Amino acid sequence: MVGLRSFRLRIALLSATLAGSTLVGFAGISWWLIYDAKVSRLDAELETQLLMAVRPRVQTNWQAYETSLHFAFGSNSQTPITIKAESNNGEILYQSSEWSGDLNLKSLLPFRPYQLLPPVPTFNKKSPISRRIQPPKLSQFTTQHTKNGIWRVGAIAFPRHSVAIAVSLNGIDREMATIRNVFLISIPILLLLVLGGAWGLSGSTLCSIQQLTAAIAQVTVKGLDRRVPIGATDVEFLELIQVFNQMLERLERSFKQASRFSADAAHELKTPLAILQGELERTLQQVEAESDVQQSLSSLLDEVRRLSGIVRKLLLLSLADAGQMSLHRVEVDLSDLLNEMLEDIELLAPHLEVQTEILPGLKVQGDRDLLVQVLQNLIGNAIKYNLPDGWIEINAYRQANVVLVTITNSSKDIPESDRDRVFDRFHRGDPARTRKVEGTGLGLSLAREIARAHKGELTLDPTPSGQTAFTLTLPSEVIPRHGVSSIGAS
Amino acid sequence: MHVLFVEDEVKIANFVRTGLKEQGFVVDYCDNGNEGYVRATENQYDAIVLDIMVPGKDGLTILKSLRLAGNNVPVILLTARNELDDRIVGLNLGADDYLAKPFFVEELVARIHAVVRRTSGDRQNLLCLGPIKLDRIAREVTCNDITVELTTREFNLLEYLMRSPGRVFTRTQILEHVWGYDFNPNTNVVDVCIQRIRKKIDPVEGSSWIESVRGVGYRFRKLES
Repeated sequence: MVGLRSFRLRIALLSATLAGSTLVGFAGISWWLIYDAKVSRLDAELETQLLMAVRPRVQTNWQAYETSLHFAFGSNSQTPITIKAESNNGEILYQSSEWSGDLNLKSLLPFRPYQLLPPVPTFNKKSPISRRIQPPKLSQFTTQHTKNGIWRVGAIAFPRHSVAIAVSLNGIDREMATIRNVFLISIPILLLLVLGGAWGLSGSTLCSIQQLTAAIAQVTVKGLDRRVPIGATDVEFLELIQVFNQMLERLERSFKQASRFSADAAHELKTPLAILQGELERTLQQVEAESDVQQSLSSLLDEVRRLSGIVRKLLLLSLADAGQMSLHRVEVDLSDLLNEMLEDIELLAPHLEVQTEILPGLKVQGDRDLLVQVLQNLIGNAIKYNLPDGWIEINAYRQANVVLVTITNSSKDIPESDRDRVFDRFHRGDPARTRKVEGTGLGLSLAREIARAHKGELTLDPTPSGQTAFTLTLPSEVIPRHGVSSIGAS
Repeated sequence: MHVLFVEDEVKIANFVRTGLKEQGFVVDYCDNGNEGYVRATENQYDAIVLDIMVPGKDGLTILKSLRLAGNNVPVILLTARNELDDRIVGLNLGADDYLAKPFFVEELVARIHAVVRRTSGDRQNLLCLGPIKLDRIAREVTCNDITVELTTREFNLLEYLMRSPGRVFTRTQILEHVWGYDFNPNTNVVDVCIQRIRKKIDPVEGSSWIESVRGVGYRFRKLES
């Protein structure tokens, strides 16, 4: 039933089925009614003609009578009409040559008295006419199937003879066939029209839904202020759109609240942290060197700094969420930054084999402090999550109008399920959240926000097993034409 | 050096004032912007440390007014709220540096020295302690008149320690000053770097200019004068 997952198709098929069954039903009934009417008319004519056979005639007269029947039934000569006249004692007075022997006249019984006149009033009881002329008796009219066709047969019994007329139903059948053909052609055409109409109509209805979908698709963290325009939407969708817009409003409000909350919280934390840190620092200098007090003050100071770091990152993240991470853009030479950091790798992890390919003069416009933070985070991770006797590879190059920095290191494989989550806040590769590997789990998340604030991106690259690679992409500074930059800079 | 310090948070003001005085600064302190502005215009300071959020005229307004009046005294902003925005506005208004709360007083001292140096020329570019001479402008270190080759990080670290001989610096403090805010703090990078500097400047094994303070960090040996 996958095909019927489409609402549009279902609507079209449903309307076609409904219209189809209705049409077929109507066609069937009217076909039958027309047939019935035609047969009734035939019966009436049959009755009239039978009554005209009141007198027994000679052979030729029967023939003329038979011929006149063709005119009477108004049909062309292709409709066979046969008659059989019989005297009361069983003698056949006349029988058409085409009279089908298997026509069963017995089935026409019982004859009913034919009421030509209204019932005779009582005072006229002894009227000579009523006494002299016995009313003829008409048979029931039936349809009989014989070898050479279908016949409508009727008979009349007069006092001295009886006459039976059989009219072939071929003519009516032909007419009914024509009508049937008209139905057979027109119904499918109508069905197709209905199908197409329903398809088109549901399509135009779904147009509103598609608009809605497009609007929803544009709702991201940065586009929470978007609303679906009501415009000339159908009344039925008005409510949906209104409810959706209200939902967006609530979402926007609570999102703003949440991000303002973390910004405020971070801010409020700063002053007490500053005091704590300042006092710790001051006391640290005053107590006896290398005393237990100084050592514990020192470790307290470290914890305060760790706390400050988290607060700072949270504030940056909440600013990024609110789309308010503003950058103090200056020209930053990524090549220089990276070369400076190579020294750190050597200091931090002299056992690691380092390979670099850093193109000189990779300049971007960006916030120096923040970009330093991103690169330090990436290099820090490359060291932290490396293998003993592992390696780090740093590639920096320009491609079209972006600068790419790829930092690859040997590592344990990141489980497939975790790959999507490495940029999640407070996510750490180490599920036990032990402090064996230091960090807050905010670094990568923040690094990516910083990259995005620079209209760049930070991605986890697909790599062969046993290594991890992150690529930082930043829009390159437009390379100025020859000489212009030096003039501009001087 | 004469410094004006404008900050409304009393507890912060206390330790900053103490810290600055310990470093030999003469500190004028006031807790609101209006008074701060009057003092800044009336006196000639070597540097002004301005908290952005103070009652009365806020830090940015004071800075703006000073610069409009043609006063080029070095200004360091202390920021806490929406630090990036304020920082950018402040730098655009002509602040010489900024420091986000919470900060180390040592860091503030370093920044004050730096901006004063920058604005007043070569005055304090040479640090001399015993046989070691450190030239901040040329970024050169000599030991007994022999040039010592130091890397960027090594030079910055040595300079930081030499600025306050005898003062204990924790590893975190050093890390933040030399490497920046968010460098993974629990590493031995500071120790490794110190070892390298020692190898380059120390006369003999066992007696070092840079002393380890067990369980805390390092300090530059204070010379008995």
